[in-house]
Amino acid sequence: MNQLTRRQFIGSATAGLAGILAFRVPPAIAQKREVTMLGWSHFVPESDAKLKQLLEKFAREVNVGARSDHVPNVQLATKQAAEVQTKAGHDLMMFYNEQTWRYRDHLVDLDDVVGELNKKYGTDIYPFCKEAFFINGHWKALESIWPAIPGNYLQSKFRQVGEGPPDTWADVLRAGKKLKKIGHPVGIQISHCIDAHTTFWSIAWCFGAKVLEADGKTIAINSPKMAEVIEYYKELYSDAMEPEVLSWDDAGNNRCLNAGRCAWIHNPVSPYAVAIDKKLPIADDINHHSTPAGPAGRFFAPNARGYGIWKFSKNVELAKDLLRFLFREDNLREWIQAGNGFNHPMWRYWEKHPVWNTDPKLRLLPAEGVFGRMRGWPASPSDVIGVIDDLYILPDMVAKAIGGMSTKDAMAWGTDQVKRILATMR
Amino acid sequence: MSLASNPTPKSREGSLLLPAVRLTVWRELGQVLQREHVMGYLLVLPAVLLLVGLVAYPFIIALWLSLTDAYVGRGGDFIGLRNFLTLFMEDDIFRQTLRNSILFTTSAVAIKTVLGLSLALLLAQNLRLKRLIRGAVLLPWVIPTALSTLGWLWMFDSLYSVINWTLLRLGVIDKGLQWLGTPHLAMIAVITVNVWRGLPFYAITLLAGLMSINPELYEAAESDGADAWARFRYITLPLLRPVLAVVILFSTILTFADFNIVYVLTRGGPVNSTHLFATFAYQAGLQAGKIGEGSAIALFMFPVLAVIVYLQLHYARREI
Repeated sequence: MNQLTRRQFIGSATAGLAGILAFRVPPAIAQKREVTMLGWSHFVPESDAKLKQLLEKFAREVNVGARSDHVPNVQLATKQAAEVQTKAGHDLMMFYNEQTWRYRDHLVDLDDVVGELNKKYGTDIYPFCKEAFFINGHWKALESIWPAIPGNYLQSKFRQVGEGPPDTWADVLRAGKKLKKIGHPVGIQISHCIDAHTTFWSIAWCFGAKVLEADGKTIAINSPKMAEVIEYYKELYSDAMEPEVLSWDDAGNNRCLNAGRCAWIHNPVSPYAVAIDKKLPIADDINHHSTPAGPAGRFFAPNARGYGIWKFSKNVELAKDLLRFLFREDNLREWIQAGNGFNHPMWRYWEKHPVWNTDPKLRLLPAEGVFGRMRGWPASPSDVIGVIDDLYILPDMVAKAIGGMSTKDAMAWGTDQVKRILATMR
Repeated sequence: MSLASNPTPKSREGSLLLPAVRLTVWRELGQVLQREHVMGYLLVLPAVLLLVGLVAYPFIIALWLSLTDAYVGRGGDFIGLRNFLTLFMEDDIFRQTLRNSILFTTSAVAIKTVLGLSLALLLAQNLRLKRLIRGAVLLPWVIPTALSTLGWLWMFDSLYSVINWTLLRLGVIDKGLQWLGTPHLAMIAVITVNVWRGLPFYAITLLAGLMSINPELYEAAESDGADAWARFRYITLPLLRPVLAVVILFSTILTFADFNIVYVLTRGGPVNSTHLFATFAYQAGLQAGKIGEGSAIALFMFPVLAVIVYLQLHYARREI
């Protein structure tokens, strides 16, 4: 057998590399296509495990590679920015809330995929999902998760203070005052995290307050209704919560409930799902009730998440096939089940899924959809709303008032910040 | 019969001449390389290319972006210095970030200087297990910052804080402190972690400086009756000053531009009370997508750091 000399090796390798660079075609041995997706690290880890299984199944059926990467929720925005700036990265990307609007020009239209799925699941779609992902007449992402955000509470603690599950935010405050006295406060983040916005928008709408008018340009923070919201937060913070809520991340309230310390949080059902999964005794004590109402009605701000396909992807059709596969009835049923009540697709068709009909503690969740609104409402989702959220203006406004700033000054501060955002956004 | 198999006298002559030509080329190349200025430039070239590619190019791009209203995924229009002016004149989160950065940097660098020098003096003694101790001191510097800060996150956690547990058991406090939920405690927390992280750099570098001081100077001072403080004041400190200047210079730059510690512990909160330039630039530029404004925030660090570098290098050069 002839031995390869060093000179021959370097010559062949250089020629091969030059060929690959010149023709931009890798050798046949490396040509197996791979479709990739990037999403969050799910609060219910079983859901990500099921996604991995489904991708393996897809890879076998289509004879391609399929991979899903996961990053913590707060890092998704950074990854999206990096991928779109470099025009490189994953084929599919998870977007939530206003992010689809932000990247609308860089996303492939999914009208054909949604059209096919609508034939199966119908066109009865939750309005806030359509608002988030149907942009300028085109579907830009396919919604995979909108978690309802009910009240999560410890039944034993509420019984201990002689309270039932709260129906309104006033009930939360009343019960919270008693609960804090027995060492089991209410827990709502007022910090730099997504849950802090979620609950702020929910409370604001329930009190009839707005951040922007429906035109998306007129600032509406400075109002008696918003003053009521801030005053409510101040009372809740001092009489029913502990200062820890100012430091929490998105999982802070989950940990507090599952540790048996907090008696009430406003959150998707992930604490319960995790407690069941890890066989924590607290699972028996946790229950859920409808998101609280206020003087202006019952509303909440779901984090609607979906997958979109980058225009720069080299596997657009394959990525669409993957979406078709993941949303195929048998696969979607399994994926929803794995989320243990957390994963709710945008079609009301799925309200009949057994996950919400076997466990009485989850039965209320599908009906919550009617209370959901996209952040910014009554304004439509927009880049401006996204920046308001990403700069944490609203929780900071509340935190300033809690920290001693007058309600009037806090609203003036919030107004100034939003004014600046509007002025600097094209 | 082919020409190749029956070379003409001319081609035979050419093939005989070829090695000689090659030899001449190599010899001339060798002579060129022996010129100091040519070799010098050649040796510096890889570093220059790296600096241009990894520092100068991104810096110029950032400079350009800071002068535009670029939003992520979209090009921006040139707006001159508007980003800088509006940040400075109108954005109170930015002004708070500026104050935070100054407080964070000055406090952390001052504490690290005092503790680092003390630690270096201690390590310079003939202790038992000297090598083991010196190695152990380096651990906070060796562990990846994001990882070690996660450990600190748990130590400051509102539910599971081991610091609170200890203080409660010792009777120092009667209720757990909200380390990361109270503005001034959160600042103390991030400074503490920065000091913990940066101390080994000070200690080991100053130790190297201490080791280079001639022991005869101390012996002479001792025989003249100088006590420990006098020896430190008149021998150690003056001779250590150039090393100290360089260490403080590096530490100031690294502390001013810190990101990991604040991002992992507080994400700039509560109420922006721990935001530094790097974390605020990240939040505005990458999270919120305002790339132009984010670049402007990041570039605000540049003139401050440039002045610090100039002053300290000027001082160090004078001392050396």
